[in-house]
Amino acid sequence: MLSREEVLKIAKLARLTLTEDEIGFYQKQLTRVLDHIQDLNQVPTEKEAFVQHVPHDAEPFREDVAVPFTNHDGLMKNAPAVENNCFLLPAIMEQN
Amino acid sequence: MEFGTLSIQQLLSGYQKKDFKPSEVAASFLKNISDKNEKLNAFLQVRPDETLSQARALDEKMSQVEKLPLFGIPIAIKDNFLVRGWQATAGSKVLSGYLSPYTATSVERLQSMGAVIVGKVNCDEFAMGSSNENSAFGPVRNPWALDRVPGGSSGGSSAAVAAGLATVSLGTDTGGSIRQPASLCGLVGLKPSYGRVSRYGIVSYASSLDQVGPFSRTVWDSARVLEVMAGHDGMDATSAKRAVPRFTEELKAPSKKSFTLGVSRSWLEGVDSDVAKAFDVAIEFFKKMGGKVVEIDLPHTQYALSTYYLIAPSEASSNLARYDGVHYGYRTQSAKTSEELYSKSRGEGIGREVKLRIMLGTYALSAGYYDAFYLKANQVRRKIQEDFEKAFTQCDFVVSPTSPSTAFKLGEKTDDPLKMYLSDIFTLPVNLAGLPGLSVPCGLDSNNLPIGFQMIGKPFGESELFSAAHQYEQIRGEFPVADMAKGRG
Amino acid sequence: MSLEKYEAVIGLEVHAQLMTASKMFCRCPNQYGSSPNTNVCPVCTGQPGALPVINKKAMELGVRAAIALNCEIHSESVFARKNYFYPDLPKGYQISQYEKPFCTQGHVVVQLKTGEEKRIGITRIHFEEDAGKSNHEAYGTLVNLNRAGVPLCEIVSEPDMRTAHEAGQYLRALHSILRYADICDGNMEEGNFRCDANISVRPVGTEKFGTKVELKNINSFKFVEKAIEYEVQRQVFAIENGEKIIQQTRSWNSAKNVTEVMREKEQAHDYRYFPEPDLPKLVFSSSWLDKIKKEMPELPQQTSARFKAAFDLSDYDASVLTSSKELAKYFESVVSHSKNGKASANWVMNELLGRLNAASKEIDSSPVSSTQLAELIAKIDSGEISGKIAKTVFEEMFATSKDASSIIKDKGFVQISDPAALENVIRKVIESNPSQLADYKAGKVKLLGFFVGQAMKETKGQANPALLNELVKKFLDS
Repeated sequence: MLSREEVLKIAKLARLTLTEDEIGFYQKQLTRVLDHIQDLNQVPTEKEAFVQHVPHDAEPFREDVAVPFTNHDGLMKNAPAVENNCFLLPAIMEQN
Repeated sequence: MEFGTLSIQQLLSGYQKKDFKPSEVAASFLKNISDKNEKLNAFLQVRPDETLSQARALDEKMSQVEKLPLFGIPIAIKDNFLVRGWQATAGSKVLSGYLSPYTATSVERLQSMGAVIVGKVNCDEFAMGSSNENSAFGPVRNPWALDRVPGGSSGGSSAAVAAGLATVSLGTDTGGSIRQPASLCGLVGLKPSYGRVSRYGIVSYASSLDQVGPFSRTVWDSARVLEVMAGHDGMDATSAKRAVPRFTEELKAPSKKSFTLGVSRSWLEGVDSDVAKAFDVAIEFFKKMGGKVVEIDLPHTQYALSTYYLIAPSEASSNLARYDGVHYGYRTQSAKTSEELYSKSRGEGIGREVKLRIMLGTYALSAGYYDAFYLKANQVRRKIQEDFEKAFTQCDFVVSPTSPSTAFKLGEKTDDPLKMYLSDIFTLPVNLAGLPGLSVPCGLDSNNLPIGFQMIGKPFGESELFSAAHQYEQIRGEFPVADMAKGRG
Repeated sequence: MSLEKYEAVIGLEVHAQLMTASKMFCRCPNQYGSSPNTNVCPVCTGQPGALPVINKKAMELGVRAAIALNCEIHSESVFARKNYFYPDLPKGYQISQYEKPFCTQGHVVVQLKTGEEKRIGITRIHFEEDAGKSNHEAYGTLVNLNRAGVPLCEIVSEPDMRTAHEAGQYLRALHSILRYADICDGNMEEGNFRCDANISVRPVGTEKFGTKVELKNINSFKFVEKAIEYEVQRQVFAIENGEKIIQQTRSWNSAKNVTEVMREKEQAHDYRYFPEPDLPKLVFSSSWLDKIKKEMPELPQQTSARFKAAFDLSDYDASVLTSSKELAKYFESVVSHSKNGKASANWVMNELLGRLNAASKEIDSSPVSSTQLAELIAKIDSGEISGKIAKTVFEEMFATSKDASSIIKDKGFVQISDPAALENVIRKVIESNPSQLADYKAGKVKLLGFFVGQAMKETKGQANPALLNELVKKFLDS
């Protein structure tokens, strides 16, 4: 069973504040899923045999041509707070 | 006149004969939506003025019916697609009120060929779910029985077409999210091969598994939507360059009339008896067409659930990191530190199932666990892919029931995530292998609930899938329509 | 403090922005200085549904860097996601390369002030995208994503440097190579060439590495050596005082001339790297790599060697003249117009560079163009003016940007090579100095210099020196 500390550590890494109820729920459900997933250990596999999911004829490259986006207003409209056309965060952010 | 249960073919024919106009059809659908949506909760956003204005523009172009393959066709779009001018919530509180600044390539292509958007439809939050009970905006109900689920995650897309509120709809399928709801609502649902349709503009869940696909009443309609939206997109580095066949042209003259179906009996254990019966009936139809059945072995599909529930949550945990309230979306008002700004925004804004998967994925990728989890799962995934490669040397399609059960009741599986995950046991391997999968309705159970037959094709083998399924449809005959779709209310 | 008992172990990480027209994974222009959030799109602002597509030119420039830095290029490499939360990282991850970068195992040879050469190893170079910028004000933090998505190469050196000077020279060599090969603009002030240093110390003669400190925000060449020197001293001082070196990130405070502790970006440094699922493996065909190799611009070492051979220059002179691509181009232009390599080298190095430095100008904004300088040299060679006058003319050219010809004309500086004109002056000088004439005739032949000097003064220095000398002697002896 995943410990409470482990659950809180994962939640912190994922930036998720959990309520007390949630911690218990996730402890239980994560453990159940992780237990089920142990069945993969029964399958012998080779290190380099990672799946290639992208089709062989995909084109990963594009030519180096600048095409400016034309709806900047649309991008800023969804921002929770804006100042001088910058995304504004409250003054609690630590200096870095 | 009632348009709710007409197919694309029937509408196009009517437009050609000038029996009716796009604005009439659009108005009729909008009225039905306004009458029936409250019972279903399928639609999250409608913009009647916008819809009618698009339709009226087409009224002026009746001569172009031949040139626009989706002329005046009412289409509903799952709310995890970005369409400029419309909201895109992906069923989540974190994107409540988000207005799309651009349009997904797949939708752009449909619009440019005459499709008329009638609304954005509900889905499980961030496309994670098999019942559409994980939406922040309430569950969707199955038009066949309002106390039951329509399936998920594209529950809204499925319910909309099944209830006659759209002619076709678009959904996404990462582990079965088009095929399973299509099966539960008596519709044709297609998940194309990975890379067949652009993912640009789809809220990403699991990048290596997500695909866009249509819901429709007929196979022909499905083929029509796919041939319009498929094809390489310079904005998606995983989209395939190969040409897109004229699928509906090909259906005019099938090159092959009998098919070999591959069945893995061990894989099919644990299916409801009505579903098993309907599956066998469908097989019989294929045999009547001159086809045969071979027993195949898919030794690694038993690991599909574990493989999927490591890979998908891992990719999702990274894809959903952008929902932090900084540049868009929900931002908490109660943060006292910078870390709280992130974690409270996400903690308060994101729903329970999604958080579970984010944490699962974060864990699977974290230091010390990557090799045992994410890497291992991708190695097993390759074996699942190889199983199908081998099977396809013996058969044309691998077939199965789409879902082990028919539509279950709301709340029946919500307390047990793992139980819910098992709804996708037949659909998951198809995404893992990147193959095309089509669900066609094949029967009703004793409660008058639809059952789906899944056909899995070779990589980029949509032509063969459409051909076989279309011929099956002819022999099976017309599939019943949900009562709710007939007439008003 | 006994600094000599310790040696520093220094490694540098350089982030170089690539000179492409568009960003790494989207089509936004790759340009500096736009007003906030106007050089952005759904991809680089991490909107839902946006996807990356690789800029082919960025790949080409990275491969050029790998070739120029003698690296082993891998035909297959992998883009990976580096996951962490920060306001200027809109996707919540940076697309970078982790286990499989596109090249490894390179080196660069640097010149030290002692005259020696040292080979500094390069561990790896990989591609990544730049982040946006956040500015902390009293009322909040402002985030501008214009820079998000700009293509970068991260160049990681081996910890081969032992002094701040070596580090400075490595950085200068890298800078020069990247600029020569048109890979990076190298403008530290604009942030397109950024350097972090990893510094530790250990007693001389020991093998074990000390605890390393990361030094960030070194944003000008001036500060690199100062900052590193300070940090080395700080660490030695601490050790001598019995303190342990804490592994941390520090930044250079150029106002106080000290390094100070920075906050860490992410408390838990678990980046959860995994291969980027929105991109296939990065594959470079050998024919494509060969093409890039063939089309490589000339590198500083090659230009330097070429100059040495063609113009018989010393190592030092060649290295000065190739210290920047612009300077080398300028020099070559002067030579091609003046047809005098040695003179061109002298004039550029001894007259031009000093003045440019004093005026804080770069060669690109030199008031004297290469053709103008070449013209001046040609006039000396043709005898139109003397070398001495030329220096005066040059000073005027530098101040006014006027052509040599117009200055010479205006000031009447044309060298006097007409024997008749000179003879008049000489006669005058001899007549005005009878006692010196007598002394000369009496055997004081050294007084030739006196007469030449006086005559030269009379001509305001414009007399052709050789001819003047000859004529004065002739007159005196007659």
